[in-house]
Amino acid sequence: MVTARFADFVERDARARGMRPRFSYPPYPVMGMSRAVLREYIEGHDPLTARPLMEEVIGALTQPVTEEEKHPKIVRKPRRPRLLAPDSGENIYRQFVENGWTDGLPIVLPTEDRVAEMLAGTDHAPDEIVGRMLITPQQEKFEYTVEKVAAIAVMAGARPEHLPVILAIAATQEPSMPSSTTSWGRMVVVNGPIRNEIDMNCGTAALSPFNLANSVIGRAWTLMTINFGDARAGETFMASLGHNLNYNNMCFGENEEQSVFEPFHLQKGFSADESVVSVFRGWNVLNFGLGPAKEMAHVMSTFGSMGSSVTFVVDPLVAKSLRAEGFETKRDACKWIVENSKVPAGHYWEGQQSGFAKRLAEQGVEPFASWAKVRNDALIAPRHSPDDINILVVGGETNPMWITTDFTYTRSASIDQWRPKCGIRRDAKPLRMPAAVSCKDGLCGIPESTSVIEPERAPADA
Amino acid sequence: MEQNGRLTVLDPHGQPTGIFGRRLDARSKPGDILDPFAQPTSDLKPASLAPRLDALDGKTVYLVETGFAGSFEFMTEMQDWFAKNMPSVKTVLRHKRGTMFSDDPQLWVEMKSSGADAAILGVGG
Repeated sequence: MVTARFADFVERDARARGMRPRFSYPPYPVMGMSRAVLREYIEGHDPLTARPLMEEVIGALTQPVTEEEKHPKIVRKPRRPRLLAPDSGENIYRQFVENGWTDGLPIVLPTEDRVAEMLAGTDHAPDEIVGRMLITPQQEKFEYTVEKVAAIAVMAGARPEHLPVILAIAATQEPSMPSSTTSWGRMVVVNGPIRNEIDMNCGTAALSPFNLANSVIGRAWTLMTINFGDARAGETFMASLGHNLNYNNMCFGENEEQSVFEPFHLQKGFSADESVVSVFRGWNVLNFGLGPAKEMAHVMSTFGSMGSSVTFVVDPLVAKSLRAEGFETKRDACKWIVENSKVPAGHYWEGQQSGFAKRLAEQGVEPFASWAKVRNDALIAPRHSPDDINILVVGGETNPMWITTDFTYTRSASIDQWRPKCGIRRDAKPLRMPAAVSCKDGLCGIPESTSVIEPERAPADA
Repeated sequence: MEQNGRLTVLDPHGQPTGIFGRRLDARSKPGDILDPFAQPTSDLKPASLAPRLDALDGKTVYLVETGFAGSFEFMTEMQDWFAKNMPSVKTVLRHKRGTMFSDDPQLWVEMKSSGADAAILGVGG
């Protein structure tokens, strides 16, 4: 039984797997419907066939299996050509847009020469398989090579110096847009020396569109997801609203230089001189955060989410103020925040509309099972593990602000394994957007000479 | 810019950099466009449907609740429907372990060994 909204999705998926299961389709939605409505669904009709639903269900269990069901054929996807058929640049660009191979924004066409130049950014062979990606757990995986990743890097507007980071993201095999009706957002964070080698912005406005590396690396992840994960809206990608973080995936480098805490990749077992990319997944981003750890705990306690993780993205000034409050490490702060963000159990269960936590409680999974047994006014810590709370330091110290997200850390990958032996391949004149001004003398950005405008003279007395 | 009916447009071509990479196929021309899409990997074998029952009378049908919100209530209503309309059918309502996204091989084994004649899984979505 699958709700009618997803009929084509499950039929297509089953056929791709060489199966012809017998589905019956009640109306949509089921979640949040009263028992009376659900009874009407069952006593009513399949909206797609107009047949009584239960008559269809019983028929599915008792009607003899047909020859087609005994010997289903798999609809195999053909191997892709390496090159597209030659055409004018305009027509080829139209082909990319109309086939859904882009994010809708302009791309650079991946010509042989551009991709060959991009491949100068790594020593790995173009035909080396980097990984397999998919956006749904059931879908057929697609395989991609170093050359395919380079083609995507070209499309995103990247230069060869960015390729090792993009390859590392590709090697995680995680899509930037996992298909969920709940609309995931993602975040990609870079640590280590490569941040400065390719001039990523880790400081002022690092999360805004003012830095080439941050922009193209984050964008490349989604272009990979579209083309390697076969993301097609309404077909394979079922997010009801979608998420505008999908355009760039909050890509930034951690501000290790200004942070008083250890960089994130050290927390994950890498060394300080390694370059590492880390990826996160969640739904919600709350931008205005101001105040000490007590306020962070307060916001966390009121921040609704289906998950149990929180990742704070904090300005270096916040890291310094946490240190001044007495927290020696990020983990010390996270531990305190967990202990001080408890909420009444009744309030927690009211917020669990997805039924996910309730289900785990019914199966005896802790701590959900215990939370289900306590009184409604008993205090519980929904974000119960300091390991699920992350702090990332980024920003330009113009205000001690922090961002609260419900992002879960999912994976880190080494960038260094993708570096060429001769070092990061920079252009003779690297392409750079204006760097964020970091003023030390109070005069930065003020022109040396200005034209003098004479003040208007008062009209002479008549 | 248009002047005397003639257009002047920007040259979109990249400047030479003196940096040379590698091509997978040296015979292809520099301006050829690469297909950005990944390759399919399917190595699946077709799976046939299990034989069907002649009728449900006197049979045991498992109603497996998949874990999506509302599916337990939906399958409970279905169980009530069987009790009311086909009382000779024995129904067993079970939760699938884990989440809606996880498999539950233990349950499938249990169903086979405990004499289940048929199963209805629901409700997805």
